[in-house]
Amino acid sequence: MSSGSGSGSDASTDAAAASRAERALSVSNVDSGYGEAQVLSDLNLHVDRGEIVCLIGPNGAGKSTVLKTVFGLLKPWEGTVMLGDEDITGTDPEDLVRMGVGYVPQVDNVFGSLTIDENLRMGGVARKGGVDEVIRELYDRFPILDNKREAKARTLSGGQRQVLAFARALVMEPDVLLIDEPSAGLAPSIVEEVFEDVQTVNELGTAILMVEQNAREGLAISDRGYVLDQGTVAYEDDADGLLDNPEVSQLYLGGADYE
Amino acid sequence: MTLLVPLQGLNPVQFLVNGLVFSSVIVLASIGLSLVYSIADFANFAHGDTMTVGAFGALAAAGVLAPAMEGILVFGFPVWMFAALFVGMALAAVVVVATEFVIYRPLDTGSIELLITSIGVALAYRAVIFLGFGTDASRYGVPRAGPIPEIRETLNLAVTPRQVVAVVSAIVLVGALHVLLQYTTLGRKMRATADDPTLARVSGIRTREVIIAMWVIGGVLAAAGGVFLGLETLVRPRMGFDILLIVFAAVILGGIGSVYGAMLGGLVIGMLYELTPLFSMVGIPIGNEYAEAVAFVIMVVILLVRPQGIAGDAT
Ligand SMILES: Nc1ncnc2c1ncn2[C@@H]1O[C@H](COP(=O)(O)OP(=O)(O)O)[C@@H](O)[C@H]1O
Ligand SMILES: [Mg+2]
Repeated sequence: MSSGSGSGSDASTDAAAASRAERALSVSNVDSGYGEAQVLSDLNLHVDRGEIVCLIGPNGAGKSTVLKTVFGLLKPWEGTVMLGDEDITGTDPEDLVRMGVGYVPQVDNVFGSLTIDENLRMGGVARKGGVDEVIRELYDRFPILDNKREAKARTLSGGQRQVLAFARALVMEPDVLLIDEPSAGLAPSIVEEVFEDVQTVNELGTAILMVEQNAREGLAISDRGYVLDQGTVAYEDDADGLLDNPEVSQLYLGGADYE
Repeated sequence: MTLLVPLQGLNPVQFLVNGLVFSSVIVLASIGLSLVYSIADFANFAHGDTMTVGAFGALAAAGVLAPAMEGILVFGFPVWMFAALFVGMALAAVVVVATEFVIYRPLDTGSIELLITSIGVALAYRAVIFLGFGTDASRYGVPRAGPIPEIRETLNLAVTPRQVVAVVSAIVLVGALHVLLQYTTLGRKMRATADDPTLARVSGIRTREVIIAMWVIGGVLAAAGGVFLGLETLVRPRMGFDILLIVFAAVILGGIGSVYGAMLGGLVIGMLYELTPLFSMVGIPIGNEYAEAVAFVIMVVILLVRPQGIAGDAT
């Protein structure tokens, strides 16, 4: 069941005890922020292999900050981030890419002045061997992109951009993928497609940590979820548990209009 | 300063030819300034002195190479000057990369701080040149060839071999840069880094390596500009610094941060600069001594109409 903010210490002993092979990513007792301004305090969460984990919470709770801190764009002030059994605390993004972590930022996630094709090629700069084969597969999977290979990314619609940003991260075939609000600003029909894509990638073996504003829909495709509030984990449970939790529903899912 | 080779008949096209030569210098210089602005994110006031470093590197090399390669000509132009040009370009590249490692990278600070720092770097480059070469103007010692007779007779234009070399070399270098930027992985990485440095790192691009490549390219092209300027005029320790404002004007005119804009802006500013004497032909009595002012006024007017620069967002 859900646990309060006291879950921090549980989770860290959890992490130590857990079978290491299962943990794709673990964040333990992390403090982080911007300059002097602390955003995350004593944050604990983890993603196991094969999982989709959804991170929800109100605007400004620090969800994006979690992903930036895991991906080395912000250096944690305290605590550790582990990738499997490797300590990646504060490792630079360009190195994490090579270690099998991918990240799709919430905003500014395509190179507007580059073509679709160039965007995908940039996604594969760290790949050993060629990228042509993977990119061809991605074109097969995302026909929207295939039709616009030579178009500048800035000419794409919001939904197309989101697909491109996602595809760019997939060129590396990451083991762990961090996605920040893939559905933000998209029409409901497209949201569904994006979530289907996320599930497909997960089925192909990528563990996913996804931030979502569309909390219900996000949790619906997830195995587990965390509710982040004011920079720390307020609730954690499997996805159904969170969806069924009246408090969570009341406070974070916009009322009890579920099922 | 004038690059004019005045001709009795005063063919107006002559000014275009002269403009093309001066434009070549400005275009070569503008590219590096714009690259640094777009990728390293600051206005590099040492860029003019990078041109000077290249010009003096070539001067030093010419002193050694000229006697050794005496008499060998390519397109009527001594081959040792080409060799000296390459030495100047290589030296400038080494100097700017060393500056990046020793100064800019360890500082790791904001745009304004880097701008101020670059002024200090400019003074340091110049001080070293003063120490090594004194304050006097020098020449490369390429024999002064007159205008190419065929062109003079057929087109009534005075075009010297060294002008042809400057313009053709600039075209080749700019063309090579275009191919690099558009069709190579390094070029794509450079454009990606200029577009969004954070997303570049997120994609796995080692942006520090891209920045080194940017310094090399900017330094090499600036040095070429410095050498061609020195060939047309004199090699002076202040030559690059004196021309820097015009280079900035070109870069701003093209849309700051845009490499292709810098090329276009450089072409336009170089032309405006040399076309100024035409005003006197239509009765407005301003001579070449006002060229700089006229170029700036026209730049301001163009920017009032197109604040994003003449190249828009063509990158
Ligand atoms: N670049 C930044 N610089 C300073 N503060 C920031 C920056 N980005 C976000 N913040 C602050 O950090 C807090 C958490 O932001 P964020 O992680 O983006 O929240 P969320 O993604 O949950 O909406 C907010 O108070 C926000 O104002
Ligand atoms: Mg966010």
